[in-house]
Amino acid sequence: MTRARPRGGIPTRTAWRLGLAVVALLVLAMLYGLARPGLSGHGVAPTNGSLRIGITQEFESLNPLIAQMSATFYLYSMVNRTLVGLNENTEFTAQLAVQMPTLENGMARFVEVDGVRKLEADWEILPAATWGDGVPVTCRDLQLSWEVAQSPYVSIAAVELYREVEQIRIDPENPKRCTFLYSEPKWLFNRRFQFYLLPDHLERAVFEKYGNQPEGYEKHTLYTTDPTNPGLYHGPYLIREVKLGSHVVFERNPTFYGPPAHIDRIAVVLIPNTGTLEANLRSGSIDMVSTLGMSFDQAIAFSRRVEAESLPFTVHFRPGMVYEHIDLDLDEPVLKDVRVRRALVHAIDRQRLTDALFEGEQPPALHFVAPADRWYTDDPEKLVIYEPSRRKAASLLEEAGWTLRDDGFRYDAAGNRLRLRLSTTAGNKMREVVLVYLQDQWRAIGIDTRIQNEPARIFFGETTRKRRYDGAAMYAWTQSPEAPPRSTLHSADIPTEENGWSGQNQPGWANARVDRLIEELEAEFDPDRRLELIHEIMWHYTSEVPVIPLYYRSNVSVTPANMTGYRLSATQVSETDHVERWNLEPVAQPAARETRP
Amino acid sequence: MTGFILRRLAQTVVVIALLSFFCYFLMTLMPGDPIDEMIAANPNMTAEDAQRLRELHGLDQPVHKRYWNWVTMIAGGDLGYSRTYRVPVSEILGRSLLNTSLLAGAALVLSLLVAIPLGVWAALRKGSRVDYFVNLFAFAGISVPSFWIAIVLILLFAVYIPIFPAGGTTSIDFGMTPGEALVDRARHLVLPVLSLSFLSIGTFVRYTRAAMIDAMSNDYIRTARAKGLSWDRVLIVHGFRNALIPLITIVTLSFSTLFSGAIITETVFAYDGVGRLVFLSIQRNDFNVAMVAFMISVSWVLLMNFAADLLYGLADPRITYS
Repeated sequence: MTRARPRGGIPTRTAWRLGLAVVALLVLAMLYGLARPGLSGHGVAPTNGSLRIGITQEFESLNPLIAQMSATFYLYSMVNRTLVGLNENTEFTAQLAVQMPTLENGMARFVEVDGVRKLEADWEILPAATWGDGVPVTCRDLQLSWEVAQSPYVSIAAVELYREVEQIRIDPENPKRCTFLYSEPKWLFNRRFQFYLLPDHLERAVFEKYGNQPEGYEKHTLYTTDPTNPGLYHGPYLIREVKLGSHVVFERNPTFYGPPAHIDRIAVVLIPNTGTLEANLRSGSIDMVSTLGMSFDQAIAFSRRVEAESLPFTVHFRPGMVYEHIDLDLDEPVLKDVRVRRALVHAIDRQRLTDALFEGEQPPALHFVAPADRWYTDDPEKLVIYEPSRRKAASLLEEAGWTLRDDGFRYDAAGNRLRLRLSTTAGNKMREVVLVYLQDQWRAIGIDTRIQNEPARIFFGETTRKRRYDGAAMYAWTQSPEAPPRSTLHSADIPTEENGWSGQNQPGWANARVDRLIEELEAEFDPDRRLELIHEIMWHYTSEVPVIPLYYRSNVSVTPANMTGYRLSATQVSETDHVERWNLEPVAQPAARETRP
Repeated sequence: MTGFILRRLAQTVVVIALLSFFCYFLMTLMPGDPIDEMIAANPNMTAEDAQRLRELHGLDQPVHKRYWNWVTMIAGGDLGYSRTYRVPVSEILGRSLLNTSLLAGAALVLSLLVAIPLGVWAALRKGSRVDYFVNLFAFAGISVPSFWIAIVLILLFAVYIPIFPAGGTTSIDFGMTPGEALVDRARHLVLPVLSLSFLSIGTFVRYTRAAMIDAMSNDYIRTARAKGLSWDRVLIVHGFRNALIPLITIVTLSFSTLFSGAIITETVFAYDGVGRLVFLSIQRNDFNVAMVAFMISVSWVLLMNFAADLLYGLADPRITYS
């Protein structure tokens, strides 16, 4: 083979080198020209001029009736409010309403309509409340959302909230006052914080024009076609810019009826990769990470670095309403025996698990009601509490006919090994670690546990939804405070092919007494009696163990150290619900790690 | 030539039509549908409501009917409605597509600017220290995962030496002049482009080097030299031109990875691009966005292949299109 060699080598080599040098210089010049140190805000404490918040979850169009994503409601709370809200102490309070109607204050009453007992409630909107364009917020806005929600051509997930209102009568003298007629007398009527408002003066025309076409309203709502229109919002902020998949910019609403917000401008920036959130914080690209940002383990690690390096951030932890648990498939022959289910709970030490894995920041769970909920109890007289005890677990398994053999596993009389399939969402590091811990604990009492994780899409889309997990499945439920547990515990909510796999009673637990208690609880207006009812449900739940409670997840967020007025929420109502109170003090405060009780 | 172009265009249209049905069919095989997402968001939704919504959106119909409805809608110029973002598809896809094209295009240009001279340089000095160094660099580019490079770049140039933004597509600042906005846009591109180029440079260097070594070892190179042609002419007209055929293949095929290739980079750098959009759409059963993106992707691959066929003829006169 002949290799071509340059005859006049030097000039050619020089030409190539020159070419390379030119390319390198061009690239370097471009980089140098674009690199402007000091612009990123690295190490500079944010001021009330602007704040940039990082979130990792996508958001959608801000029409509250058709939106579904958590991040959308995080943004929505900055620009709009509802009649009632949930404050940071997990209490329902009037927000846009002057007062919450109750039977006691006479603003709600039972009525007979055509011989049927119903409920009426008077609502009054705050006199000063106006949309961003100065038009007063009235009951017509409530009526429009009620009409849109019930349209057969609009996809609304929470339509039952609107459907329970049979009629809205607006006071002709004062459109800020109206009376709702509820078809069924239920005490939850005045806690519907998801009953949103649509600006009648803007959206009525859109609904009338496109509301009778499938998806017509969704496509043409001003929240999609003109999202920066100030008339769409009445909260402490208005929207200056929306770029789906990128960011939303908010500016203080000069017409807000409440105390004016301290911060002039807030940008919420989407950073989908949780791994780079910290780099963005440290580089000054963002000033804060919302509760829809860091994972719990990342927050723990970051809080250590904040302390070690005195970084100007506060990492917040607050036990929330997300209940991590293990559903047990009660159709599995092994799990049909309650003694086996109780043995599984006795075999695990949840306090040790949360101390070891979560530094005690996520409290161990006893049942489905979280400590932040007023219904919570840890009274051993009202619950069956399983202390960690391998001896008791082993004894229960022996009693159930599972005997220990020399290989360390238990077998029944027919020689079948005690096997359990355990699954969760693949890729969720925390859950995977918990499963390994459980596998180890159950192995110690002779149970052969096989971990079989699946992508979230399959796990939630098929496996748990259609009750095909054949053993035990670990995931979480998000609870609202004081919410009757119908969808998760009532036997009518066991997903089946006949009911289109609706309902969340994935263990398939059917207890006629619990069904009756849930039905009674939903209709009971006396709060003390409700407490008795829910505690009885909890007793059955902990006694029969259809589910193994693990821990209540904590919400986490990171704020600038100089921020005051911020309080991390325990519920699904995000911290932006009191965004107007956030204040960035001019003097930086020392960094701290904060744990809410 | 005209006949060839028309024939290939007709083939392309048929392939696009077949692939569109295949993609649509595959998507319907995935578990769940958009209504399941709504049920997950609101467990109190009744089975009747779920059924009503399925009927409203035509999700209760057989696949071929749904596909036909989709084709009719597209043919009528309506790209549909995104059930993930709750906006018309055209509204989100257009911007993201432009952003990704800019990112991928800039990365490709940078890769070619760096890789071709390096590859040729290494080929002309096969076995030398320069060659070993270039090979080492190329293998590093091919082997190192792009997400790792991305994170290293962020740490280096956004955290420790904070000269570039850690992520995003633009700064959120309304006081910028058009010139400042342009520079700002470019600043946001630097790290993602470097990250995305790293892998391509390694691949292109390897191909260029191999093609050049092969071309330069041919008899016609010796003949050209013997005829007394200048080294530059031999190198460019006879050597590099013949090395172009494999390069055209690899470069045009690289265009087809426009959507999938940038997804990691877009996610790490929070870049508002189409790769991330498509990934999310598929995850959330957002058929309309995913299908339009699939179609653009498939069309792009086919068009690039078509372009490659045409370019072969320009690079090598022996190739004819009869």
